[in-house]
Amino acid sequence: MGKCIVCQCEDVTLDDLEDAFEHGFRDLESLKRFTGLATGLCQGKCCVAHAARFLAGLKGGDEAAADPPRTRPLLRPTPVRAFAGPEELSASPASQGEKR
Amino acid sequence: MARARRLERPADSPYPAGEKIVFQFEGRPVEALAGEPLAVALLASGTRIFGRSIKYHRPRSPFCLHGHCSGCLVRVDGEPNVRSCQTPVHAGMSVERQLGWPGTGRDLFRMVDWVFGDRMDHHGLLTSSGTLGRLGMRFVRRMAGFGHPPSTAPRPPAPKRRLAAPAVVIGAGVAGLHAALELAQAGLRVVVLEAEELAGGRLCDAGCRPGGPAETGWAARRELLARLTARPEVELRTATPALAVYGDQAVLQVLAAGPCETLALEPERLVVATGAYSPLPLFENNDLPGVLTPRALDRLVCGHGVLPAEPALVAGDGEEALGLAAALVERGVRLAGLLTDRPEAELPAALRDPRVPRVAGHRILRARGGRWVERVELAPAGKESPDLVLDCGLVAAEAPAAPAYELAHHAGCRVVFRSAQGHTLHVDDEGRTSHGQIFAAGHCSGAGSAAAARTQGRRAGLACALSLKDDATLREQLAALR
Repeated sequence: MGKCIVCQCEDVTLDDLEDAFEHGFRDLESLKRFTGLATGLCQGKCCVAHAARFLAGLKGGDEAAADPPRTRPLLRPTPVRAFAGPEELSASPASQGEKR
Repeated sequence: MARARRLERPADSPYPAGEKIVFQFEGRPVEALAGEPLAVALLASGTRIFGRSIKYHRPRSPFCLHGHCSGCLVRVDGEPNVRSCQTPVHAGMSVERQLGWPGTGRDLFRMVDWVFGDRMDHHGLLTSSGTLGRLGMRFVRRMAGFGHPPSTAPRPPAPKRRLAAPAVVIGAGVAGLHAALELAQAGLRVVVLEAEELAGGRLCDAGCRPGGPAETGWAARRELLARLTARPEVELRTATPALAVYGDQAVLQVLAAGPCETLALEPERLVVATGAYSPLPLFENNDLPGVLTPRALDRLVCGHGVLPAEPALVAGDGEEALGLAAALVERGVRLAGLLTDRPEAELPAALRDPRVPRVAGHRILRARGGRWVERVELAPAGKESPDLVLDCGLVAAEAPAAPAYELAHHAGCRVVFRSAQGHTLHVDDEGRTSHGQIFAAGHCSGAGSAAAARTQGRRAGLACALSLKDDATLREQLAALR
């Protein structure tokens, strides 16, 4: 038997989803928490869609997947240097914004 | 299986590439074209395994090439976890792979995958005693993770800048560019944020035919960008992904990270045109290197002229798979098969040629191969055993797109789910989301085709402009589009 990978970042397989479903994790948020899908480097860009269709198929309706897992920024891995440092925000010369 | 080779680069390719340069890959010199993405240069040089998966240490290689998947991470000049598909290569760059022991190419931890052939249930593993659990944890920490900390001094913090504009568009694909153009034509200043180096979204795909068979995506892109850059109202920032949208404050706030600076924007209105991600379909070994999305293969082979192996199997009924298959045939790339259920009359002209090996009524059951895909097993619909095996060096397999709803979802916009489309942003017929200041258009709000994205983008741009300034001409234009 080989593996059918749902989430490449966290190595979550289709069997893992079935196991989680058997354990009673039957919505996207708890599927995510139990299997770890959507918690990897890509933050669920592809696996959530697979998991949603999996749920809709097993529970027989789109309602089962209606709520996506909670979205939390940042949307992609970002180096700390993007936010680190003492600088104030500087207003762009062309902008009408005011310096805080 | 053929070796990686370079095709003649099409003169009108939107992807820039300069003169030949040399960079270092794990201590040996590798030739590349300056400015092409590092991942493309590595694939062209015959590199097949980029990394190892976190749990089973299965070989990993980029499958999306659009900066979404985790398959292309490498260590560059001492900095770990660099997305090589979004990093232009330059002379003297030093590149290493990250995971695996003794190395990424040959990794003994791969045994975990074979020992746990079906699956490893880590919830129950080594939990019978505390000591065993602690030992297991130490082992797991050693074999998982994301490479080693940086070995060079940290780069200085990025400068931060506040940008003001009445309107911000996130995503410079078909919908986003058209929305921005409408806003600019209405005389409004608009900042467009694009995550990738190149604006255009799917117009960068050789297989894209936004206005029917006669119009190529590349030509449409050139024309659209020329119109947009001629407008003084537009500020287009590429390689600047939006990281967050805060919609519950008194003012809308958008956070984005450019190549050299971090941006905070507080627009009055926002148009979300983030497009969609392309997942791989579900079949056994769908993560084998050499299995890519059609858009990834389009970018690699048609845009950059790099063919990592041959022949290619293209699977799918959608615009992306069929467009790619036609583009490959036109470039003389050998096809192992075209797996589609679309009737002949609906195929692009290049695919109606009897020499194109079409297979109907089948799906991919599993991919086979050690370090790279070597063949696929196909099964008739509803059957679990294969009746057809095709040798191939590349697989481009299309799955329903996954709309990029997250930014707007976090800002509080309503998301709906339908099995056919996935999670999409709920919009009215003028592109308004459930958040009063946010509009959405294109793939992220359910547009299936490039043509639909164009109409939706124009509509959202006009409606957004109208919400900022009432104008009879704008109202007429919007009415004409409804």
